[in-house]
Amino acid sequence: MGGFAYLIADKITNILLENAETDVRMRLSNGSEYAAKQFNLYSQPQEAQLQDTIDGTVNYLAGGDPAQTSGVVVAITADNFAEFIEPRVSPEVPVRAVIGDELRATVASGKVAHQIRTGTLGGERTKYLVYGSPVPTRFGQVELYYLVPLARQDATAADARATVVATGVALVLLLGLLAALVTRLVVTPVRVAARTAQRLSAGLLDQRMVVSGEDDLALLAASFNQMATNLQRQILRLEEMSRLQRRFTSDVSHELRTPLTTVRMAADLIFAEREEFDPAVARSAELLQAELDRFEELLTDLLEISRFDAGFAVLDSEPTDLVPVVHRVTERLAGLAERVGVTIELDLPGTPVIAEVDPRRVERVLRNLVGNAVEHGEAKPVRITLGIDQSAVAITVRDHGVGLKPGEEKLVFNRFWRADPSRARQTGGTGLGLSISLEDARLHGGWLEAWGAPGQGAQFRLTLPARAGDRLTTSPLRLVPADATLPFGGPRDGGLLAIGPGSAGALAVGPADTDRAEARP
Amino acid sequence: MSGRRLLTLLVAGVLLPAGLGGCGIPAETDVQVDGSVPAAEAGSLNGSPAPPPAPTDSGEPVPFIENYLRAAAAGERDQAYTRARKFLAEEARDLLPGKPQTSEVELTVVRLLAKPESTPRNNQGTFTVTLKVQQVGVLRADGTLGPPGATETRYVFELRRAAPTGAGLLITNLPNVLLTSDSALREYYRTRTVYFWNSDLSRLVPDLRYLPSSVPAERRVTEVVKWLAGGPSDWLASGVTGLPDGTRPINNATGTDSTWEVNLTMPGANAERLRRLGTQLAWSLPELTGQLELKIQNQKRFSVDLERERTTNPAYPPGAAPTRFSVYDGVIHPLAIGNERRDAVPLPAAENRNVVSASLARAREQVLAALVVTGPDRRLRLKVGTGPEPVAVFNRSDDTFGSMSRPTWLRSLDENRAAGFVAADGRLYRFNGAAELSLVPLNVSGNVVAVAGSLDGHRIALVAGGAVYVAPVNVEGGVVSLGQPRRLPTLLTGVTAVDWITEDQLVFAGNDPDRRSAIHQLAVDGAWEPPLANEIGAPVTQLAAYPGGGDRGLPSLSFMFETNGSAWRNNPIDFVTPEQVLDLPAGSRTANPTVPFFLY
Repeated sequence: MGGFAYLIADKITNILLENAETDVRMRLSNGSEYAAKQFNLYSQPQEAQLQDTIDGTVNYLAGGDPAQTSGVVVAITADNFAEFIEPRVSPEVPVRAVIGDELRATVASGKVAHQIRTGTLGGERTKYLVYGSPVPTRFGQVELYYLVPLARQDATAADARATVVATGVALVLLLGLLAALVTRLVVTPVRVAARTAQRLSAGLLDQRMVVSGEDDLALLAASFNQMATNLQRQILRLEEMSRLQRRFTSDVSHELRTPLTTVRMAADLIFAEREEFDPAVARSAELLQAELDRFEELLTDLLEISRFDAGFAVLDSEPTDLVPVVHRVTERLAGLAERVGVTIELDLPGTPVIAEVDPRRVERVLRNLVGNAVEHGEAKPVRITLGIDQSAVAITVRDHGVGLKPGEEKLVFNRFWRADPSRARQTGGTGLGLSISLEDARLHGGWLEAWGAPGQGAQFRLTLPARAGDRLTTSPLRLVPADATLPFGGPRDGGLLAIGPGSAGALAVGPADTDRAEARP
Repeated sequence: MSGRRLLTLLVAGVLLPAGLGGCGIPAETDVQVDGSVPAAEAGSLNGSPAPPPAPTDSGEPVPFIENYLRAAAAGERDQAYTRARKFLAEEARDLLPGKPQTSEVELTVVRLLAKPESTPRNNQGTFTVTLKVQQVGVLRADGTLGPPGATETRYVFELRRAAPTGAGLLITNLPNVLLTSDSALREYYRTRTVYFWNSDLSRLVPDLRYLPSSVPAERRVTEVVKWLAGGPSDWLASGVTGLPDGTRPINNATGTDSTWEVNLTMPGANAERLRRLGTQLAWSLPELTGQLELKIQNQKRFSVDLERERTTNPAYPPGAAPTRFSVYDGVIHPLAIGNERRDAVPLPAAENRNVVSASLARAREQVLAALVVTGPDRRLRLKVGTGPEPVAVFNRSDDTFGSMSRPTWLRSLDENRAAGFVAADGRLYRFNGAAELSLVPLNVSGNVVAVAGSLDGHRIALVAGGAVYVAPVNVEGGVVSLGQPRRLPTLLTGVTAVDWITEDQLVFAGNDPDRRSAIHQLAVDGAWEPPLANEIGAPVTQLAAYPGGGDRGLPSLSFMFETNGSAWRNNPIDFVTPEQVLDLPAGSRTANPTVPFFLY
């Protein structure tokens, strides 16, 4: 906008100036011709009438009556004949200051030249367009100057400039106003829509946009509202279904407990009397007893799960030393371990590991993890490691069983998931243990993660914040055990990894070929 | 509206005027060259200004003073004081202070009556040079020679050596007028005639002017235009009409050989006035041919072909081809001089009797005849007759006189209201076609003995009290009035007769300083007085000349006179013999032809 205004104002100024120049050039040319004719009557600069003729010529060229001139000053000088010819100016004003030396020199050398100069010729300080032309005469050369005030052009240019500026400012203001208006009309509804969408995504499903008018924004708002309504209905339906399902599970569990208690009492009675039955029946009683134990356990887990689902689980945090907890768990599972030939190794710090946790839940998680490790340990040692740093405590449980296939690290936490559905359970696992453990860890704001590789066993890691309510960022212990080998064999100790294109567009990571690798220190 | 947009707006608002401030008209620019102008060829103009005399030209007092007298005239009038003051010693410069305005520079023209007298060097080492002079006039800015303003007849100059040992001289004391001599005026000035319209705007009246010969030809037009704008000479003013008041030239007249351009301011300029001015210019610039364009306030208004204008519009009627007549035994007879044209007397024989003197003139198809006749009582009467040739009807004046000059016709009047002048008994009378005489009051001393009208008819020359006068004649609506006569300085005294010999020269007869009769020519302002005939034994009683120039069948400057009872002519000077008188009746007694005159 500024550039455009500059262009316009500059153009106007140039046109004004050009007009003035053309005008003066014409007058100068005519004046020079006239003066040449007049002076051609003289062949000597000292001739008596010459000075009168110069006076007359200057007055004539200036328009005769000095009172009625338009401010144009005409001057004739004869620098070459200063001793004979006095310079004459009409109207009588001191023009020497306005006719510059450079211009005089140029004109004296026989050139028509012009220049803009600022000076005071009787009155105000004004810009003058000074045109000079040599007038050839028989005795040599005199110089004719026209000094045309540019006051009018200057004023016009200033006016034009002011107008352009005013127009420009007005236009800018108008554009600003227009932009504001458009913003108000377009951006604000979009912003409201965005805010509504944010609130909606935050769970406030009853948020709706205001629909006004029939424009595109109104259509958007209507569609948005439609979508929100549909979403809300769907979510509510799903919630309702989920609630019903959980309620059903809970109710079923509760409803099963009463008959189970009765069945249990009866089964206990039968089991206590099994010695008196024939061996086949006694065996049945034992089976019954065992299955009832599993049933009861399953029921308990289900209830626990349904408590989690219903959101009734409450954390009972208290500063707890985790070392005894680990000891307690290993002691309780020592029998089972001995039975399957697994040795449990402990790697615990010598000092108490105090964290603000719910000891009952942590113990349950550990029991579950260690139990699983022992169960799948394939008679190889199970190692329990306890680590701590400023913000977190971590416990890893490492076994060397069949391990996990890729992708199973997540699946293990699913309810009723089995690594090998055909494999018979040796222990009475319910299939809910790891799910409950995961819920417990989450309740603490902690992590429960699994790692495993086929043939290398598995490792589970429980990381809990040292203070209840803190956010976890790192874990004191590594998830992947140090003795695990990577799928490609892993890098040699201190060796380099190479990353390069693999098959089917995948990225292949492998040990670098040291002979070829460009090791960069 | 966001903060950022507001900021942008503010920045734009501040930058826009600041940026535009740079695109106005700059206070000063570099010099830009638009082209070049070729230099004019140097060279001098027509007119060769003779170098003015310098103080160093002579070491003798008399030539030195003569050079001093020439110096004032030797060049343009504006610098006359500068030239003259070069002859002055430092201590005398204040005696000739100069004039603040160049228009006030006037040259006092004197005629040296004798060779300047020089006294030898005295004790103080100074010389004295005494001039005996006759005051001729004052040369004014407008080129006119006015009547003299001073009465001195002697001027005394004191000189000293410029350097104690050198030969140079300087003037130490002098009269405080800018003196020049009539011979210097002739040497350094050229006479020019400009023309002004008469009151009736029917014919042009010549007016004599002086232009320095140093003025180049190119500037003469300008000078003439200035003169015309400035009005007629003072003595002529009452007889003619000048240009409208406020008429003045705008700068110089410019032009080439074929076209001249005159720019004027002229209040009330109309086509008729411009046409008249064109005729005036054509006649006032006789050497120019081609076109002359008249501009009024830069607007081209009128164009005139100068030569054609002179051909088609004569300044005044030139009259018929001249023929000579004289009175022979009381009867007018034609004269036969050489192969010149001759003409029959346009009068019936019955009226051509007892003639003492006569004036005949042709006006178109008519002849104007004024005869002085003697009656039976020996008294003189005027007999006037006008009409187609031969003039049939004559009127006689009631008054009779003891003496009467030859009458003269005023050629400015139309033939139906013809009028003329005659001097009778020492006074001037006007007469008309009915021979009614009326006294013309004149403010001159002495008896009026001769009168002559000019060819243009608006000036008359008088002889009164032995001196020559000229006076303008104003003819307006048929009413003739005479302006104030101007006495002309002459060398001859006791003037007895006068006539016009050119349009601005007179011929007159009087006594030279040695008391011998002589005939001199005289410029109409008295500036020039060359002798035409000397050592005439007796006083000249009649004098007649033809003023129309040399191209009408007569040699130029032709005149005839009567002295000692016989008629003489010039070219060469010889007396008119009775054999040259034509149409003499057989057996008439032998007499001398008298009172010769020209009919034209």
